[in-house]
Amino acid sequence: MIVTNTETIVGHEITEIRGLVQGNTVRAKNIGRDIMAGLKNVVGGELKGYTELLTESRRQAVERMMAQAEELGANAVVNVRFTTSAVTQGAAELYSYGTAVVVEPSRVG
Amino acid sequence: MDESFVDMIFGVFFLILAVSIPLIGILGGRVSEYRHLRSLERREEEASDIIVTQLKSFPAATRSDQTPTIVYAETVIASDYLKTFFAKIRGIFGGEVRSFQRMQERSRRETLLRLIKSAREQGFNAICNVRLETADVGGGAMTRGKNAMPMACILGSATAYQASSSE
Repeated sequence: MIVTNTETIVGHEITEIRGLVQGNTVRAKNIGRDIMAGLKNVVGGELKGYTELLTESRRQAVERMMAQAEELGANAVVNVRFTTSAVTQGAAELYSYGTAVVVEPSRVG
Repeated sequence: MDESFVDMIFGVFFLILAVSIPLIGILGGRVSEYRHLRSLERREEEASDIIVTQLKSFPAATRSDQTPTIVYAETVIASDYLKTFFAKIRGIFGGEVRSFQRMQERSRRETLLRLIKSAREQGFNAICNVRLETADVGGGAMTRGKNAMPMACILGSATAYQASSSE
């Protein structure tokens, strides 16, 4: 499946639009990561645990979005966007949405 | 006699602890920021051959077998003791919080470099439609109030494609 965050795909033609597809996930980080982050907040630097959490959440949200697109019989998702929100103290939501389309390789460049 | 001696030991211990945590924070924060900025500068120079745009179209795209694909990156950078302290002082007088502004900037630059790296690893030489946005993983001041852990969370996405080389 082709996934892009542009409206068009170079070298491809959009032949059919299948509609909006979306995927979201709310993930909590464990207490160990919270404690480590608290310590890191003294000396600064990257919070690898939280970066990983975001990576995992994003992957899951995109997977759900792609599963929905597949159900609609699309072979590409264009114009993908992300938003996040903090639901409660320890959990963050990551929401990804895009337009499911059917594309064909265009004949002329 | 014995008790006062024990009290003194404890007193000294806590005094050292009270002094050393800010000290470690200040030194560690400075060092980690300095090293990060240096590494950013070096890697930005290395990444200058990749065409980075924020356009929705594909500038200078060439026909290739490689289908354009989305690339993602995310970075979370923690504040340090000194930065949080400066921000608290700023909270009294108002004005620009330079320490947090720098922290956000570092996080954005790091995210952009990771986008470029991800595109390069997949064999592309250009990225377009770069989107950077802030995330909140629950450490923000909004959700925690006084016990907030300030951090810069940046979520980035872009589309990687093949472009004709500018030379």
